[in-house]
Amino acid sequence: MNTSLLNPFNIIYPTAVQASLPSQCSLARFDRSGRFVVAGRSDGSAAIWDLETRSSVRWLEGHVKGITSVDWSRNSRFVLTSSKDWNVIVWDLASDIDPPQRKTTIRFDAPASSASFHPRNSQIILALLQSGDAYLVDLRKKHRGRVELEEVQDDSDDESGASPRSAMTVAQFDPTGRHIFVGTSTGSVLVFNTRTKTMVARHKIAGAGVMKGLDFAKSGRRLVTNSSDRTLRQFTLPTYSPPNADREYMEQELEPTHKFSDPINRIAWHAMSFSPDGEWLAGGAADPASHKIYIWDIANDGQLASTLDGGREPLLYVHWHPSKPSIVSTTNHGNILIWHCPAPERWGAFAGGFEEVDENVEYEEREDEFDIEDENVLAERKMKQEEEEVDVLTGKDAEEEVVDHPRVNGDEDDFAWADDEPDEDTREWKMKIMMEDESDMI
Amino acid sequence: MSHESTTATAGATRTEDAPAPVPNYQPHLILSGHRKSISSVKFSPDGNLLASAGALFGTRLTGDIVQTLSGHSEGISDIAWSAHSDYIASASDDKTVRIWSLDILRGHTNFVFCVNYNPRSNLLVSGGFDETVRVWDVARGKSLKVLPAHSDPVTAVSFSHDGTLIVSCAMDGLIRIWDADSGQCLKTLVDDDNPVCSHVLFSPNSKYVLASTQDSTIRLWNYQTSRCVKTYTGHTNATYSLVAAFSTTGGQYIVSGSEDARIYIWDLQSRRVVQTLEGHKGGQCTAHPTRKLIASASMEKDLTIRLWLWSDE
Repeated sequence: MNTSLLNPFNIIYPTAVQASLPSQCSLARFDRSGRFVVAGRSDGSAAIWDLETRSSVRWLEGHVKGITSVDWSRNSRFVLTSSKDWNVIVWDLASDIDPPQRKTTIRFDAPASSASFHPRNSQIILALLQSGDAYLVDLRKKHRGRVELEEVQDDSDDESGASPRSAMTVAQFDPTGRHIFVGTSTGSVLVFNTRTKTMVARHKIAGAGVMKGLDFAKSGRRLVTNSSDRTLRQFTLPTYSPPNADREYMEQELEPTHKFSDPINRIAWHAMSFSPDGEWLAGGAADPASHKIYIWDIANDGQLASTLDGGREPLLYVHWHPSKPSIVSTTNHGNILIWHCPAPERWGAFAGGFEEVDENVEYEEREDEFDIEDENVLAERKMKQEEEEVDVLTGKDAEEEVVDHPRVNGDEDDFAWADDEPDEDTREWKMKIMMEDESDMI
Repeated sequence: MSHESTTATAGATRTEDAPAPVPNYQPHLILSGHRKSISSVKFSPDGNLLASAGALFGTRLTGDIVQTLSGHSEGISDIAWSAHSDYIASASDDKTVRIWSLDILRGHTNFVFCVNYNPRSNLLVSGGFDETVRVWDVARGKSLKVLPAHSDPVTAVSFSHDGTLIVSCAMDGLIRIWDADSGQCLKTLVDDDNPVCSHVLFSPNSKYVLASTQDSTIRLWNYQTSRCVKTYTGHTNATYSLVAAFSTTGGQYIVSGSEDARIYIWDLQSRRVVQTLEGHKGGQCTAHPTRKLIASASMEKDLTIRLWLWSDE
C-alpha cells in the first residue's frame, strides 16, 4: 500500500545495516511476506523474529543438534527445519502455544543437510541427507510415500557397472515446483520432474567441482550455482519437456551467461541470493575476517555494483527480501544483520500542497489564476466533480497478486498433481500475539 | 440471523442502475449502565461484542454487560479492538494506554486521546495531547517509535488495512500519512480553511481517508492526488471529536453522530442524507462489521448506548 507514496527513485539494493538482532544463529531466511525471519541455531533451536517489532516471537525447540536449513511455506504458516539429528520438523505457527506445535516430524537414517517445501503445497517436502541421497516425502493421504531421487547412469557405463554414483550435495525445488534441481559432487546439475520423480535432464558444468548451492530468480528461468571452484555461475535454463515413458532425459552442457568471482582474493562464497526482480545478485563472501556482501548488477552485464561492509564478524548466510531492497545476513558470532536502503527524509511531505523540487522551476501563471470566480459557480463545479463514483471497497488484495508462472505445454498435470489435497496454509491464518508477563515490564 | 444475511447479500449484489436501497434503521436495544458520558463505542471484528469506553457489552445476546474494565484513574477517550477480538486497548487522560487486561503502556506525557491496532495486532498506535504519535510493540509493551507528528493535540490515528501506512489528524487541521515501517511522513492533506480535524480513518481498501472536521463537514480524500473527492454535510459538529464510519453491510453509507442529537446516514456516492436516527442525544456511533446494525452512544445526559437494526418492513 505504501509503495505508491514512496520515492520511486531510491536505489534498489540495500546499502546500510538497519538493525542487528542477537540470535545466536547461523542461518536466517525471510518468509514470503517479508514480515518474519526464521533463524536456525547450531544448538538445534530456531527462532521466529517479527521484523515489525524487531523481537523474537516464537522459539522452535525440538532438535537436539544443529539446524542445517530452514524454509517457509507459501503463506508463512508452516516452518520447516532440518537438523544434524536426522530429523526434519514441520512447525505450525497457527497453534497458540510457544513453542508452537509440531505438525510432522520426519525421521531419516542420516543427518539431514537441507529440506524445503514444495512451493505450491507444504505437504510435499524435499530432503537431502549428508549421505548424499535426496528424498521426496509426500505427506498427503492419497500420495503418501517417500521416494529416493535416483540419477540415471549413462548406458555406456552399464558394462562396468562399477562407476560410483556421485553424491548429491544440494537439492532444491525451482520456483514453480515442477522440477527439482540437484547438484552433485562431480559438478553436474540434475533435473528431476517432481510428479514422476524421474530425471529429465543432466547438465555438466565444466570446471565447477563440488556443487555447494543453488538459487533461482523468481521467474524460474535463471539459476545461479555456487561451487567449490569459488565461482558463482548464472545460467539461463532451457525448457524441459515433460517426462516420457521411455525415461529419456536431456544431456546438455550449460554455458554460464555470467561468472562471478573475486579475482584478487579468490574468496569462496557461503551463499547467494537474487533480488526480487532478478536484476541484482547478492553474494556472501566466506572471508574469515570480515562481513562482506557483493552486489552484482545482472542487467548491466554482471558488473560489480557495490560491496557492503558489515563489520568484523564473518558472514555465514545471505538472503534477499522477497519484495524490498533489503537483505538479511548472519554472522558467525550469531547476530542477524538486517540491511536496508535508507530513504532520505522528505521535508516537503510535512507541508500540504507543497512539492520538493531539485531545480528551480520557472512558474508560469495561468491566465485566470487570480480571477475571482462566482462562489456559486465554484460550488457547482465542486458538486459536479464530486459526482464521480469512488470505490472504497475493492482492490484490497491487488498488491498481493499471486505470481503465476508462464504455462508450458504439459505443465497442467504437474500443477494439478501439486494442488491436489491442498494444505491448510491459507492466507487468512493469524499468528496469536503472545503477551509477555507484566512482572518484567514495569 | 439467516433472514438478515440473505438481505445483506442482496444489497451487495445490486446492479448499477437500481436505486440505492434506502436504509431503514429502527431502534433495537438500549444499553444502560454508564455513569459518565461515553466517548467511544466499537464493535469487535468478529461482531460478537460491543465495547464502549468504560464497559464491555455483549451484543449478540441480550445487551448485558459482559465485563466492566476499570483501572484508568482518569477518563477514557478512545478504545480499539485487536484483529482477533481478544484484546482491547484504551487511551486515557491518565497519560497511559492499557491493553485489557494485561498491559499498561507508559510514555505519553499528556492525555492520550486515540488508539488503534494494526491488522496483525502486533503493533498499537496512539496519539495524544503531547502532540506525538507513538507506535507500540503490543507483546512487550514498549514504545517502538515516537513520531513528532503535529503541533497540536492528535485527535485520531489509524493503520491502513495492510499495516504499511498510518494516518493521523490533529487540532491543527492537518491530516498526515506516515510510513509505518520507517516512520517517515509521506503526505500532508490540508483543507483551505484549516478547520480542526477531529477524526480520520482509511476506507476499507485504504485508497481513501475519511476525515471529520469541526466545521460540520466530513470529507473523503484521495490521498494519492491530495484531492477531496466527496463532501458530506448536514450534521452539526463544532465542539466534540465525533467519529465517522463506513457502513458497508446494507449498501455503502457513511455514518456519523451529530451534536443536534441525531445520527446521520449518507449515501457514500450521492452524498445525500438518506436517514437520520433520532431519539437520544447521540454522539459517537459505529457500524457492525457484518450485520446491518449501528450502535450509538450519547455524549451527555441519558448515558445510554442504543443499537439500531435495519428493518426490512
